[in-house]
Amino acid sequence: MVKFVKVIPIAVKVGTVTIKYPYAKPLVTDSFRGAIEVNPSKCTGCGACTRICPPKALSMSIEGETAILRYFIGRCIFCGMCADVCPEKAIKITKEFELASEQVFDLYVDVEHEVVTCKRCGSKFVTSRLLNKVEQKLEEFPKELLYLCPRCRRIEMLSKQTYLR
Amino acid sequence: MEVQRQTNLETFSSKDLEKALQRIKKSIWVFHLNTGSCNGCDIEILDVLTPWFDVERFGIKLVASPRHADVVLLTGPITIKTLPRLVKALRAVPRPRLVLAIGSCAVGGNIWFNSYATLGGFPNIIDKLNELGIIIDKVVYVPGCPARPEAIIYGVAVMLNLIKQKSHYKKVKT
Amino acid sequence: MESLSTSSEFENLYSYLKRFSDRLVEEEDNLRIVVESEKLREVAEVLSKTEGVFLRTIAASDERSVNGFYKMYYVFGIDKIHRNIVIEVPVDPSDPVVPSITDIVKAADWYEKEAHDLMGIKFSGRTLYKFVLPDDWPDNVYPLRKDYTVQDLVKLYRPEIVTKAKEVEAEAAIIIPIGPYHPALHEPEYFELYVRGEKVVDARYVGFMVHRGIEKLAESMKYDQVPFLAERICGICGFVHSCSYCQAVEKALKIPVPERAEYIRSIVLEIERIHSHLLWLGVAFHLLGYDTGFMHIWRIREQVMILAELLTGSRKTYGLNIIGGVRRDIDRDKAKKCLQVLDNIEKEFKNFVDAAINVPQIKSRLRRTGLLPKSEATSLSLVGPTVRGSGIPRDIRKDYPYAAYKYIDFKPVVRSECDNMARTEVRIYEIFQSIELVKNFLDRIPEGDIAVDSWEPEPYKFGIGAVEAPRGEVIHIVITGRYSPYRWRARAPTYQNLPAIPIMLRDIELADAPITIASIDPCFSCTDRALIIDISSNNVKSVPLNILSLKSSKLFR
Repeated sequence: MVKFVKVIPIAVKVGTVTIKYPYAKPLVTDSFRGAIEVNPSKCTGCGACTRICPPKALSMSIEGETAILRYFIGRCIFCGMCADVCPEKAIKITKEFELASEQVFDLYVDVEHEVVTCKRCGSKFVTSRLLNKVEQKLEEFPKELLYLCPRCRRIEMLSKQTYLR
Repeated sequence: MEVQRQTNLETFSSKDLEKALQRIKKSIWVFHLNTGSCNGCDIEILDVLTPWFDVERFGIKLVASPRHADVVLLTGPITIKTLPRLVKALRAVPRPRLVLAIGSCAVGGNIWFNSYATLGGFPNIIDKLNELGIIIDKVVYVPGCPARPEAIIYGVAVMLNLIKQKSHYKKVKT
Repeated sequence: MESLSTSSEFENLYSYLKRFSDRLVEEEDNLRIVVESEKLREVAEVLSKTEGVFLRTIAASDERSVNGFYKMYYVFGIDKIHRNIVIEVPVDPSDPVVPSITDIVKAADWYEKEAHDLMGIKFSGRTLYKFVLPDDWPDNVYPLRKDYTVQDLVKLYRPEIVTKAKEVEAEAAIIIPIGPYHPALHEPEYFELYVRGEKVVDARYVGFMVHRGIEKLAESMKYDQVPFLAERICGICGFVHSCSYCQAVEKALKIPVPERAEYIRSIVLEIERIHSHLLWLGVAFHLLGYDTGFMHIWRIREQVMILAELLTGSRKTYGLNIIGGVRRDIDRDKAKKCLQVLDNIEKEFKNFVDAAINVPQIKSRLRRTGLLPKSEATSLSLVGPTVRGSGIPRDIRKDYPYAAYKYIDFKPVVRSECDNMARTEVRIYEIFQSIELVKNFLDRIPEGDIAVDSWEPEPYKFGIGAVEAPRGEVIHIVITGRYSPYRWRARAPTYQNLPAIPIMLRDIELADAPITIASIDPCFSCTDRALIIDISSNNVKSVPLNILSLKSSKLFR
């Protein structure tokens, strides 16, 4: 009948469990995924992360003379797919969760890349880092075709073939 | 319908905001507003009240009506069906209107930021609310999916000017 | 294992269906039949009269670019032999009308209204009204049709913030005096309770405030991005949606998921069940006024959240699934920690719940309230602990085995009293059962890969994935496309269970309404508020449910 009074000794035995954050350390485990950090010395601007990001928090755009990889912490869902997918392993998942801010503007992180201009039409089509990487990998590729945007490259190759014929 | 406050709307300056924040540092009453969220952030808000984090040691408690609220805890990407209710509830909150936008939905709209059925988060409607005369005095954005209880406590501390925020816009060159 | 063609019990059904044999396809789990809309009511009649056949879900799909028709998919399940009967009804695009089957199969009501709202298919023989979309949505614009992309729809409709915000729908019928409670509801979904004095006469659910356009969005996302989208359908039981979607695609494309991945998925599913049931128990105690219980249960539950973070990387919305497996492994250290935490939780929970259930106000408030008769539960095809508390042993883990449940044996927890206490007991014992299951899985987990190396998408393949969520059956239908799902239909268990509320609320005391509504375990934010409409005095009040519920508890102090 008075079984419910048993709750009192339970409460006494447990005592206080409160984690007195912020005066004590938070309950973060080893596997926790917080905000990501893009390593500017490794990132080549390939854009693989922007394609897999479900909420499109990572986006790539050409602004003026540079290409910008923009990370919007406000929309990030902290899934870590970008880190899994990056071919250069340039994305690190930190344990940062104290991200509150008064301005949405403060939640953006930009990584600026130099771009290469197409020798034929002048459009900016790829970051210089990515182009150098491709150049290293494809050693026998003719240099005059490398610095052309995909459209111009097709035109150039076609006109070369017909000329040779 | 709305009770006129003593402070005139036009003369509610940033100094008034500072003074108001000083006054409510003792114990803030929060009102939880769900604009179509998945409930992940909502249960983390409830979690903040439970023994492990126990935000009641700071004197924070949940109230049932927006009229008694100091801070509005907003979750959800503001779906098209909840918009009228949101406007009505915010209009009933007395000045200073402080909004804590919790979670990736409220800050940036999450995965459905460009869907036909949502408005994409709180930043997209602040201007529209201003046009209607609902001035939001201070907003603090707490990212996370869902936002950890510790992150929510951190957000409340930033709201009350107890801590300076760590996030700042950064641009790095390669 | 029997199939429909070899089972003796369903012999008659099989021979009846064979009459459509020119359009009948037998796949591994599904028997797919194409039925013309004129014959639909006859087939539905036969299926509803067969015992052991339940309606699982209905989906509408725009297949005009594939074969020139809209298609309605009616999925009936035969629990005993683990088979589905999928009835496909092609609908003529120039005159999209299908006969309604709601009078024969009661459970089809909401599905037809939704198909009408989102795909524009009309159902003859019933009334239809705006269900999912807002009232001022433009006519003849149906979001799920392939005519519109998501951007097109955004251009066609943006809500106006009207200066006089719209009152709740009740205003049209009843005068609302501004009473002591402010009518601005802060929770999106709510229940309208029609009362006479202190007794409830009827109830209506006003919801779909959380409609975010997820099914349309998935058609423009890649296969591996959709599990993250699915996980955020519900923040309390998100992992079941992500598993269910992955299973549907894996079944459609016959992708062989490694055994270790299946075990990991099952372990995390059970951990999610423990956390969800503990959450529900805490909220139930709070509604009954026993706040000590609420605090203690959530204290115990916190350890499960920390464990989930250790195993998957996030307290909720685990982000663990991809098509063909999982992303993170459970190594020996994590497994050991898992067993430690579960032992702890089991001891603490057993101690506490023994004391808590015997608190006088809890026992008397839960016993003999909110009765859900077995016959009603069967005709509405209800799912989950709601139906297991009424004596019907429906459990997807046993009826349509998936993941690691194919390899073990256990009995679902069933009670026959049909009241709130029965549903509470089902959930309490399921917590203990889940702890045992996790220990079992960790014991037997084999070595191996955690995901397939690669897989190829093929368009227009059909797959059904179902998982037993803490609240009941979650079922997803996927029709694959080249790079993204062509059509994805996600059905949560509360959608199936909510039509039972008016039946449970009939003739009960007003103060018992909140715990009865909460006993089907709807996503918790909609149990927070109720709109009380007194039909004898034409009075409308908006009341927080816990205040309403406490009226009765005070008698026991």
